[in-house]
Amino acid sequence: MLYKRADTPFELYEINVLDANDEDLVKISQELGLALNIEEMKKIKEHFASKGRNPYDIELQSIAQAWSEHCCYKSSKCYLKQLLFDVDAEYVISAIKEDAGVVEFDDEYAYVVAFESHNHPSAIEPYGGAATGIGGILRDILCMGAQPVALIDPLFFGRPDSEDIPKGTKHPLYLLSGVVSGIRDYGNRVGIPTVAGMLFFHDGYLTNCIVNVGCVGIARKDRIIRSKAGGAGDLFILAGGATGRDGIHGVTFASAELEEESEEKSRSAVQLGNPIIKEPLIHACLEVVEKGLLTGMKDLGGGGLSCVIGEMSLAAGCGAEVWLEKVPLKEEGMAPWEIWISESQERMMLTVKPKDVDEVLYIFQKWDVPAVVVGRVTDDRILRIYYHNYKIYEMDIDFVVSAVEYCRPYVIKHAEVVDAVSKPADIEKTLLEMLSHYNVASREWIIRQYDHEVRASTVVKPLQGRINREGHGDAAVIRPANSWKGIAVTADVNPWMTSMDPYWGTASAFDEMVRNLVAVNSVPHSFADCLNFGNPEKQERMGEFVESVKALGWMARGFGLPCVSGNVSFYNETPHMSVPPTPTLMGIGIVENVRDAITADFKRKGSGIVLVGETSKEFGGSLYCAVTGMKSTVVPETSPEKLSEYTKAMLEAFREFKVYSCHDVAEGGLAVAIAEMCVASGMGCSIDVEGEAYITLFSESNTRWIMEVREVEEVVRFFTKKGLKASHIGYTGGKSFDVEGVLSVAVEELDEAWRDGLTRFTGW
Amino acid sequence: MDRDEIRVAVLRIEGTNCEDETVKAFREFGVFCESVHLKQFYSDMIRDKEQRTFTDYNCLVFPGGFSAGDYVRAGAIFSARLKSVLQNDLEDFIKQGYPILGICNGFQVLVELGALPGFDEDRPIAEKPEMVLGINDSNRFECRPSLLKHENRGKCIFTRKLEKDVVMFPVAHAEGKVIFPKGKEKEYIDGLVQNDQIVFRYVDTKGSYAGYPWNPNGSTYNIAGICNITGNVLGLMPHPERAFWYPNTDGRAVIESALDYLGRI
Repeated sequence: MLYKRADTPFELYEINVLDANDEDLVKISQELGLALNIEEMKKIKEHFASKGRNPYDIELQSIAQAWSEHCCYKSSKCYLKQLLFDVDAEYVISAIKEDAGVVEFDDEYAYVVAFESHNHPSAIEPYGGAATGIGGILRDILCMGAQPVALIDPLFFGRPDSEDIPKGTKHPLYLLSGVVSGIRDYGNRVGIPTVAGMLFFHDGYLTNCIVNVGCVGIARKDRIIRSKAGGAGDLFILAGGATGRDGIHGVTFASAELEEESEEKSRSAVQLGNPIIKEPLIHACLEVVEKGLLTGMKDLGGGGLSCVIGEMSLAAGCGAEVWLEKVPLKEEGMAPWEIWISESQERMMLTVKPKDVDEVLYIFQKWDVPAVVVGRVTDDRILRIYYHNYKIYEMDIDFVVSAVEYCRPYVIKHAEVVDAVSKPADIEKTLLEMLSHYNVASREWIIRQYDHEVRASTVVKPLQGRINREGHGDAAVIRPANSWKGIAVTADVNPWMTSMDPYWGTASAFDEMVRNLVAVNSVPHSFADCLNFGNPEKQERMGEFVESVKALGWMARGFGLPCVSGNVSFYNETPHMSVPPTPTLMGIGIVENVRDAITADFKRKGSGIVLVGETSKEFGGSLYCAVTGMKSTVVPETSPEKLSEYTKAMLEAFREFKVYSCHDVAEGGLAVAIAEMCVASGMGCSIDVEGEAYITLFSESNTRWIMEVREVEEVVRFFTKKGLKASHIGYTGGKSFDVEGVLSVAVEELDEAWRDGLTRFTGW
Repeated sequence: MDRDEIRVAVLRIEGTNCEDETVKAFREFGVFCESVHLKQFYSDMIRDKEQRTFTDYNCLVFPGGFSAGDYVRAGAIFSARLKSVLQNDLEDFIKQGYPILGICNGFQVLVELGALPGFDEDRPIAEKPEMVLGINDSNRFECRPSLLKHENRGKCIFTRKLEKDVVMFPVAHAEGKVIFPKGKEKEYIDGLVQNDQIVFRYVDTKGSYAGYPWNPNGSTYNIAGICNITGNVLGLMPHPERAFWYPNTDGRAVIESALDYLGRI
């Protein structure tokens, strides 16, 4: 018999792993929903054999949580350590190790960064999945003792005009609308502005949408709380919502491929969010932090209590004793293992010295947020759980949490080089098609549904230019403290490029992230990554991952930008397809004085337009190819040294000269970038281009910006003297976008094409 | 009264979420301002040193947000709690002429409470709501800049120091459409105009009354903000505290006016 009911007045089973053969072990893993492989099951059997007893269900479930890909990064850790995590900067206070990265902002404050995926839940239940994604990322920031100040949400779906939808999959537009509503209703209610993001449609996301959520917070440096237990004798206080059956097996569900039946089977793995518990929870947590009453804090996310208590204790080199019946429940009849691993939302775990417990409980009561003592920190490295005085769990924390690690084998695919790009048949029509393409067109429909101004600190908004007819900015700038110093934030990746060439595609994403930060006059300071890939057990997928991380490490090291936080999401794959490699990057820049930030809309008639950077024929993964159907595999290359030189020169130019507006050159190249500057301002321009017009106008070479300046000749000379390329290409003014001898399109026409490109699918 | 005697409370319950920036805006003028949980006025569990009464303050602000989630109807739960325990105190406060400001969700609270439009000087809180802030015509939450024409002739104590004719405050709401009882729209509008209770109306860049998106919610008579008959209670959907620092500082005049008024009594 594999399962034996224990002699307890509640549901508890002993699992007979000691007598189980390999086949039985696999069966146990499947039947209990553990998502552990045979090697891992054998390791568990060995461990319990050495203890001379069988595990209880709660112990096995606990191991499954801790060893899931989601919690322990078992497939990615080894490459991340080798390739990415060695860039350091003296201003980084804490990177990678905790729930969020902590970086110095000024003498008094630090900013805190977290970035995560919420892909699987969003594919099954877009509204709840996205909403809890926001809830989770807010807790990651909060648990460092920081006030969240900005949300960022990059989203990826199948094409909006998709027709053949595989069974068990939802239409991209249904998912888009559900996800946006979920972010809106949660983010707006908790009162944290959603200031940046991106939206990309690609066939590869049809069966697996990608929903990434990032958050930036601000904390006083002397009030930063660590994600570990204080020390032996401290008490664990569980604060926030009650625990229910929602979100059971969320992490093991996120660590396997989605199937056709996932819809029916896995709905219980999606948690339910409640922003009106979260909002006072934030206040109460920050009040106890402010009063210096905590010794540690961590949020309950994947794996629930099981992960939070294990990880907090391990990090402190301690053990723990938990009284599980103290946990407030949403429903009766939950088995102990369900309470232990439930991922119900809106919960935080605090450790507090016994003398401060009453004060902490009073503050939570004041905010009407339930908080109870559920255990205490011990000085051995053992975790024991009691349920109504029965001991139902006793394991070495090191064994459970330190887990497993794989350097999975991989192969790198090399595509044959194709470069069959030529002049378009009708250049004006091509430009209009590019502007109205769903991956470029106005995101106003989404941006306006998010409150991007709450907290009254959004200085450079996601929509910039003429009132109620704005254009997109490159990065948002917020002013998180009382000084004029600001934080710029942007999110970038181009899946057309990464799917064609994970290495150069990822390097391009890094380049674009830096360009966007620079364009608003901020100094690139740190970044976070959310790496979304397919099934790592498949060597080709692992190859994509390794290539991508290699490029990221190379760029970050060469440029000197530390990666302070991140998340890896594997298994974004179904039997139909895998997602394109999607290393989403969130860049953080520092703006010395927010009043000097620069926006992307043309400001005044008759100023000079300067193109900074070098253009070559690079059309791999370009918008031009997408619109014309031409083929190229030549994904734009870049170099961290060159990017760094240009960055320094740009920032210096902003100080030296009067720069009215600036925009980075990305999807659609120079032509689309300039058209966007026209659309945002309603002002036209006329330019001259050298060489083959379609290459200069549409190639997507990296490390380029457009500036609108007063002293045009001086600016060009400034760059040329440094050995960098800059050219005066024209002047602002008029009602149309003219390229001498090539094209002339009225700004109104550009505007119409651009504004209508997404809403023709979503409605307005 | 002197600046250092002025005490401002920004009231909150779970889900109000614009209190930080509202407090910061008042403090910018050097007055005492704190955010206070409604429980601090009535709950037994609150410790002595954190207990408050309305008489501790001479200006009250209902900030923006989603009080209690706004799941029933925007502002409904906040106003119901106020009415059940603090109605008399609040009426006294209004009768004494102290300023009350409701921004966005705060405007919704004041309307649900019956404090706005507030036609009756003797009964500053009507028995039941006399108007509604309904769901936007667009049927969704929208965050956008709005241009407001200041039309008050001097009654509203929150705009006396406003020099510009047209100001920009951003809006961010899903329920901001002013609706009066069916069939009585004209009567209400005439009354408001006659009593000088209209404060802000939505306009376009030319300063003309215009439809969507300039009137972001489809509000009757393009109304963005009104005051009560005595001019000391103002409710408006747009957020003056978000037009306060940079680049737009139009919202400062609202708070400055209220403090200036307090300085004269």
